[in-house]
Amino acid sequence: MKPTPRKAMRLALGAVGLLVGIYGAVLLLTRQDPRQWLEVAIWFGVGVLAHDVVLSGLLIGVCLLGGRFLPPPWRAPATIALVVWGTLTVATVPVLTRAGARADNATLLDRPYAATWWAMTGIVVVLVAVAGLVRSRRSHEEG
Amino acid sequence: MTMRLAPPSPDQFTSRLRSPAVAARVGLWLGICFGTCFVTGLISHYAQLPDQPIPFPTSPSWGYRLTQGLHVVTGTAAIPLLLVKLWSVLPKLFEGLPLRDVRALVLTGLERASIAVLVASAIFQLATGLANAAQWYPWSAFSFRTTHYAIAWVAIGALVVHVAVKLPVIRDVLTSDIDATSRDRATAATDTPGVLSRRALVRTTFAAAAVTALATAGSTVPWLRRVSVFAVRTGEGPGGVPINKSARAARVEESATSADWRLEVVVDGSTAASLSYDDLRAMPQHTADLPIACVEGWSAQGTWSGVRLVDLLASAGAPADRDVAVTSLQESGPYRRTTLPANFAADPRTLLALDLSGEPLALDHGYPCRLIAPDRPGVLQTKWLSRLEVST
Repeated sequence: MKPTPRKAMRLALGAVGLLVGIYGAVLLLTRQDPRQWLEVAIWFGVGVLAHDVVLSGLLIGVCLLGGRFLPPPWRAPATIALVVWGTLTVATVPVLTRAGARADNATLLDRPYAATWWAMTGIVVVLVAVAGLVRSRRSHEEG
Repeated sequence: MTMRLAPPSPDQFTSRLRSPAVAARVGLWLGICFGTCFVTGLISHYAQLPDQPIPFPTSPSWGYRLTQGLHVVTGTAAIPLLLVKLWSVLPKLFEGLPLRDVRALVLTGLERASIAVLVASAIFQLATGLANAAQWYPWSAFSFRTTHYAIAWVAIGALVVHVAVKLPVIRDVLTSDIDATSRDRATAATDTPGVLSRRALVRTTFAAAAVTALATAGSTVPWLRRVSVFAVRTGEGPGGVPINKSARAARVEESATSADWRLEVVVDGSTAASLSYDDLRAMPQHTADLPIACVEGWSAQGTWSGVRLVDLLASAGAPADRDVAVTSLQESGPYRRTTLPANFAADPRTLLALDLSGEPLALDHGYPCRLIAPDRPGVLQTKWLSRLEVST
């Protein structure tokens, strides 16, 4: 059976992807030694576990709690806040921990990151509370 | 009552938000970010190669600043996109395998393997890139540059395979209404009262990506400095330019401030000139506005003054159209000795800078003398120069 043009295109695309990926694997295997491969493999595993088990598990728990304890008018504001605040927090882990800071370089990590994060978190909580109260009152009046 | 810990089954995920309609819309922009990161990463990698088949251009002087700024900003913006994308497809992680049908088992297994590689390499790239941008190196064995480059090819390859596999679904859901249910999982039928619509979730995700980018991009976009409260740098520093590696970290404090310091110019293995700081000051001085643009994604424009490299090479009797080996006072490190390609050496904007913003270079900026050339990665703008070598 002859493949349709669309299917042929997908096969070609898949083959290109496979070759590109293999090229990357060859680069890693030829330019790093087995000790380094092992560390990359550990990072691969830890990264996937950190996301698929820790972060996803945490999020499922938070959503279950939110579904049980948050009244419906509060849920949309809380979800929006969780997406923006949560992803921004993940993206700022290196500056929040200041792990790369050096005593001999005052131009690096030179902002009050933790204080800013607490202030941002406080603002987010207040915004969710205001939106939740306003929406509760509105649905009450409509109901 | 007994508690049993078991992985969930896909049927237990009933939210209509976890759907191909959301995954494809967020995934499209995630793909655009990854594609931008890949292309700009290739440019950065090429710019750092010691031997370039086609010389990296010296113009525009802000070219590398733009591409590397884009690299780090799009990589950072990809974090919210990746997290929501993975959330939207999480039920698939728990789907069973078609154990009875060998052909289906092989195909499903291959697809699952490609997804595993894609997810692991995507998380790896964003995590290592993010850490590197904050000068945090929590790994001990692998080389960041080599590994980030190799895994980039793996991630892009796996991404292309993923798009090839999913193309019919992607095409279908992107051309249908976002609330269409024809491609949904059968059990994804619950609208939790009060929770977002699909459209609102996608918009929130894009907003999160924009907020993350704006909150960090001030390291490379000066007018965002006040907004970028989570940027790795404020952009402040001696002469208005931040520092990557200090003189203390490079262990040059003594040699760089010694009265015996000389800049050696070596032509064909023999010393053609040995210039003191005062000798350099006595030569014709020129000024150029050029950026420092680091691989870590921060950049800053500086007004540099000093001796033109072409003038210095001419006075030492060296030809202007040759590669120049540039050596720093640093005693170790991969960038102690680098090659300045001939086209950079011949560019009249390339300076042996003595001043920044009208003041003598700070020790941490490369005093007594540093190289500054247009459109060049920051790590190759050698500080604390000690020797220039040319072969005719």
